This record gives sequence, structure tokens and C-alpha cells, in this order.
Amino acid sequence: MMKTFSIGGIHPADSKISKDCRIEVLPLPSKVFISMAQHLGAPAVPVVKAGDKVKAGQVIAEPAGFISAYVHSSVSGTVKSVGPRKDIAGNNMVHVEIDVEGDEWADGIDLSDKLVTEIPEDVKAILEKIKLNGVVGLGGATFPAHVKLCPPPGKKAECLILNGAECEPYLTSDYRIMLERSREIVVGAAIMKHVLGGCRTVIGIEENKPEAIRVMSEAVAELQKSAKGYEGISVMSLKKKYPQGGEKQLIDAVMGRQVKSMGLPIDVGAVVQNVATSLAVYEAVQKNMPLVTNVLTVTGDCLPADRQHNYKFRIGMPLSYVAEYAGGVPEQAAKIISGGPMMGKAIANPDAATVKGSSSLLYLTAAQTVRQAESACIRCGKCADACPMGLEPFLLNKYARNGMMDELEENAVQDCIECGCCLYSCPANIPLLDIIRIAKGDVIRIIRGRAAQKK
Amino acid sequence: MDKLLVSPSPHLHAKTSTTSLMRDVVIAMLPAVVVSVLFYGWSELLIFGVSVASCVLLEYLITKYLLKRPCTVGDWSAAVTGVLLALNLPATTPWWVVLIGAIVAIGVAKMTFGGIGQNLFNPAIAGRVFLLISFPTYMTDWTRPQGFIGNGLDAMTGATPLGMVKEGGISAVADLDYLDMLFHNIGGSAGELSALAILAGFVYLLVRRVIKPYITLSILATVAIFSGIFWAVNPAEYTGPLFNLLTGGILLGSVFMATDYVTSPMSNLGGVIFGVGIGVLTMLIRYFGAYPEGVSFAILIMNSMVPLINKWCHSRKYGRA
Repeated sequence: MMKTFSIGGIHPADSKISKDCRIEVLPLPSKVFISMAQHLGAPAVPVVKAGDKVKAGQVIAEPAGFISAYVHSSVSGTVKSVGPRKDIAGNNMVHVEIDVEGDEWADGIDLSDKLVTEIPEDVKAILEKIKLNGVVGLGGATFPAHVKLCPPPGKKAECLILNGAECEPYLTSDYRIMLERSREIVVGAAIMKHVLGGCRTVIGIEENKPEAIRVMSEAVAELQKSAKGYEGISVMSLKKKYPQGGEKQLIDAVMGRQVKSMGLPIDVGAVVQNVATSLAVYEAVQKNMPLVTNVLTVTGDCLPADRQHNYKFRIGMPLSYVAEYAGGVPEQAAKIISGGPMMGKAIANPDAATVKGSSSLLYLTAAQTVRQAESACIRCGKCADACPMGLEPFLLNKYARNGMMDELEENAVQDCIECGCCLYSCPANIPLLDIIRIAKGDVIRIIRGRAAQKK
Repeated sequence: MDKLLVSPSPHLHAKTSTTSLMRDVVIAMLPAVVVSVLFYGWSELLIFGVSVASCVLLEYLITKYLLKRPCTVGDWSAAVTGVLLALNLPATTPWWVVLIGAIVAIGVAKMTFGGIGQNLFNPAIAGRVFLLISFPTYMTDWTRPQGFIGNGLDAMTGATPLGMVKEGGISAVADLDYLDMLFHNIGGSAGELSALAILAGFVYLLVRRVIKPYITLSILATVAIFSGIFWAVNPAEYTGPLFNLLTGGILLGSVFMATDYVTSPMSNLGGVIFGVGIGVLTMLIRYFGAYPEGVSFAILIMNSMVPLINKWCHSRKYGRA
């Protein structure tokens, strides 16, 4: 019996139209705009000013706190300006604008594609490299990677889980790197395993990607035979179910353990990193390459087969540049999503720049995505059946609309992971997640306020 | 493309709607409808026509002129009530009695509570029970009208097997043919005619994921166990599990009426408690009550317990074991 998470979940069509498109390298644009908010936590502080010459891979911003990250230039050229520019939601954020001149890289970066399999001994040095090279989680939340790899005192990692589930429909960037960069990903996993004290390491991949399961298994076997430090790494195929790639769900699926409410994965001995993060860790540690590139999928049912793409991009390339290079925005597209259709963000400003965590340009048609008018709740319970956290969205919806904060907290609105299963399933088209998301924010503020008062 | 749509996630929807679910329920009831029309003929067809038409029309008139709200008949829920009410009536019911049933079902049980999603009691059962109490003669007239097929089957008229037991004790039903009951029952409401037709609908609802099996199965299991115990202790006095599962409205009730979304509990555990309650109450009424059949009363009584059950039964939450 194949493993999966134990509560709820849905089965949307996986629509991996672009899965057979090899990763292509996007040519350099004339300008990039590098955002200071590429990670969860405080935006980084720029350390360059207009007129400065920069090389690709050079630090242009430093972390502004414990949960923050370094930002590097993805191109060589001249800094044109440092100032506010609109992000994908249309909000102002400080960006460093760079005019591209040539393609010169900073010193000390290994640009060759020679596989380095030997894992460095010094854990501190590894963590420093991960941090200095600005590696953040690429599974969606862009949480600084080094923070996750340093369990707080008293907590010990028992299992490192590599997230290759890619449970969001349409997205294929993780799939492509698992096929094309499998060995690098496994080396990255072995490095993180070493940092965490040599715990068991499981690469979780959904069964709808048999090629990835095969290629990754072969890479693991090959490295286990030819190099040291690869023992205890294995590939686990998981039953296809959304949101398998949710951190809490993946831990449940792989380890059979559940993270307590408001707790962290490390509380149950788990550390979860995306396969793309593992690749970034490999690049950072073995090649001293900062996180300045990533892979994104350009896809949608309204694009013909020859216009589906997986691109390796440099961070800071405008989304509009990527779209233009890929042949323009299709006529029928009513909404463009950055990320998957379940949890991704609708792009309000197509001129916004790509960031470390950009994973797609997904074109959806009006027929696919326009919401239907809300009707009365028929109490079918489909939302509760779908919720992977075991919440009762119909109930939370009612409490939220009536401002019943105590009841919302008792019924665990703060545990919502915003996966969208409830809204997806609701036959009455009630905007459950919209309402729950707001209520969750309010309740978490109340909980934090209470905790602050106690101190 | 001039303007981009921007909205919070998720950006896709399952495309299941209240309308598609209700339409599936109607489709699931079709086998039972077809069987009853074949065996009971024109008068049965008239009952279905009057019931569905009056339920839909009443909801239309009430939403439009009384409540002045957007009309909801397009969601097919009024049609579901109409078909269900008809399946719950004897084939000889006069059209005006059917109309009164529809008025009670839609007008009283559904719309006075606020329409779909708000009603405490299943509208069709409320309508049926109102008729049963108000017009007992019509509601227990089991004469079999001329059908399109199967005219040779009307050897027994005037009573349902459950009624015969109530009147004449268990010996009255000693020579019942269970195979016969599986395909076309001996007497009863239109929807009680064929167990197989109902089970076909049940399978359809499960396959289409319209309902989950917990409520239905817990009712049937409770009836089987309850009657099994009594039958084992005293087979001369009490009817057995097979008899109780195949006669009366237990299949119709457990598949189509107890599983009504609005009037059944939200959680799986709640559904099981609800089902056990219906099973026990049905058997208590059948064995010890004044009425020969108790499914409708049992469902109505348990409908009233649903808010309480919902209060105490919640789904299993992640990480809070």
C-alpha cells in the first residue's frame, strides 16, 4: 500500500502538460530588477548604490535579521537605481535595478558542470556557505534554508524529507530538475543529511511521476556505490493526492507523525526541504554558486503544445520578459498565476520581476478560473472531507462571518494551511478560504497578543 | 486580453455544484421511478407529475412572490423533494392529496425555514408524515392499480407485509418469497417496490461521490442486528433481519432520505450515530409501536437530533490527537 497523508485531500486533474519540455536557458535581458523581499522574513538591506559595477553572484543586499537572507546580483553590469518598484501584487518593494553588461561572474564561483560528490566535513562551514549564498526554500514559502538546518537546542532531526511531490497541478519545474539534475539533488540531500547529523533521508515523489522516481532512485544507487556519505538515502513513491507537498502532510505521509498545532516539523524530528532547495544547496556548497537562478514552468491549457516551456531564469528578469520570450501572453488567458493553481498568486502586475521562489507563469482561461456566484450552504460536508488539517470550513465560515473569535480558535482556524481544498470542493461556491484566511490572521494576532502579555 | 483577473487562491474549482449533485440524486432515483411506473401504470405517472410539478412551482412562487429572493428551483432540490415525496406515497393516492403533501414539504418544511440548506426536517418526509396522520385511509390503501407489466402479481392486495405482521402476527407472512421482494415487493409505497432499484441508486450515489456510505450502512446494520437478536430469541414472535431489511421503507429511507445533506450530521461519526438512532427507532416502532412502519418517524426524530450530534461530533484534526 503506497503511502500518503491520512486526513482529507483532493484529486484535481494533474495537467502536467509541460512535463516533457526540457529545461531551456533564457537569454539575458537588458535589465533586471532584483527584489529585496525574495524570502520569508525581513526584506534584505541593499549594500550597493546607483553607479556601482556588479558581477553576477556578487552580494547586493544583506539579511536584516535572523529570518532573512542574502541577495546576490544575477547578472553583471551597472546598478542603475535602488528604489521602490511594484511586485507581482502591485505593492512597492525596494528593488535593485541593474543594466546588464556582458556576463561576468564573481570570483570563487565554479561555473563548470563537473559533479562534485565529496561532502565537506565541517558542518559550520557548510551552513555558512548556505547562508552566504542566499539559499531559501524553493517549495513555496522561501524560508531561509540555513535556519531550518539548525535545529534549536534539545531538538534532533530524525528524518530529512526531500519534497519531490510537486502536488500542484500544471507545475513541472521540480519534475524536470529531478530528471535533469538528479545527481546534484542527491548530493545536496547528502550535504543536508550530514549537517543534520546523518539522519535518515527520504525523497518523497508522487506516483504520477514514475520517470522521476526511476531516475532519482538510480542517482541514489549510483552515488551510494561511488562515493561516501550517501547511506540512508532512499526514494519513496507516494500516492497522488493534493496537498501531498504540504510540509505537515508530507511528514504525515513519510513518517506517520503529525506536527502539533502551532508547532514546528523539528518537534517531531522532521526537516523538510524541496528538491529545488537541495539543488541550490549543492550549488552553494559544492560550487560556491549563490542562488541567482531557478527553473520556472510556462504553461496553461490555452497554450499550444509547442509553447509549453520549462526555463532556467536569472532572478530579477521581468515576468513580462519571460512571457514575451515564450511567445507572448495567449489571447484566451484571463488570469496569470505565479505558482500553482491551488496556492499560487494571481499576477496583478505582469511587469514585476521574477524572484528566487518563482515557479511558473500559468495561464488560465476565464472558463477555468472565474468563480461562480455563491449560493446557500447545503451542509454536504465536502469541505470538511477535503480539509487535510481535519478542520470544518463550513463551521469556520459561519463563525468568521459572525465575528466569533473564541469559537474560531477552539475550532483550530489557526491550523489552516491555506491549501484551498475547501473552496475547490464547495458545490455552493462559498469563498470559504477567503473568509477563513482573514479569520486565521485575526486569531493568530489574538494568540500572539496573549502570549506577549504573559511575558 | 485587456485586464488581468486577480483573486486569492485557489484558482481552480472542482466544478461540482449544488445543481450537479441534486441532478445526480434525481438520476439515482430513476430506477425506482421506472420500476414503480412500470408496475403501477398511469396513476403512478400522474403522482410523479403532480408531485414534481407542484414542488417546483411552489418553490418558484414562494421565492418570487413571498420571499422576493432569487429563485432557487434551478438547483434541482425542489425536484428531488418532488420525486422523493412521490416515491413515498401509495400508487392510489389522489392528486389533491399529493398536492397537499407538496405544500407541506416545500411550503412548510423547507421554505419557512429559509429554503435550501436551512431546513431542520427532510421536506419529503415531513410531507409524507403529515399525509399519513391527516389521511390515514388514503395513505394505507395498498390496492395495486393496473400497471404496464406484471399484472399477475397482484394476488395480495390491501396490506403491506409489515401491515400483515401488525394485524395477524408473524404467521401471516410465513410464505413470503424473498426473491420476489428483491425485484418487486409485494405491497407498499411506490419507492418500496423494488429493493434492487434502490440499491442501484445507492451504488450510483456512491460512485459519483454524492454521498458517503456511513449513514445508510449504519441504519441497515442496526436494523439487521436489532431484529436478528429479537428473532434469535423468539422467532415465533418477531420477524427476522432479512424480512426487516427488504420490507417497508427502510431501503428507500436509508439511501435517499436519511442521507439528505441538510438534515443529516456533518461528520462521519455523527452519521453513524444518526444511522444507529434511525435503525433502533424504526425497529422499536415496527415491533412495539402502533404503526406497522416507522422509518419516516425515525428519520424525523433523528433529524431533530442533528444539531446536537453536530455539536458533539467533530472531524479528526491533524496534530491534535
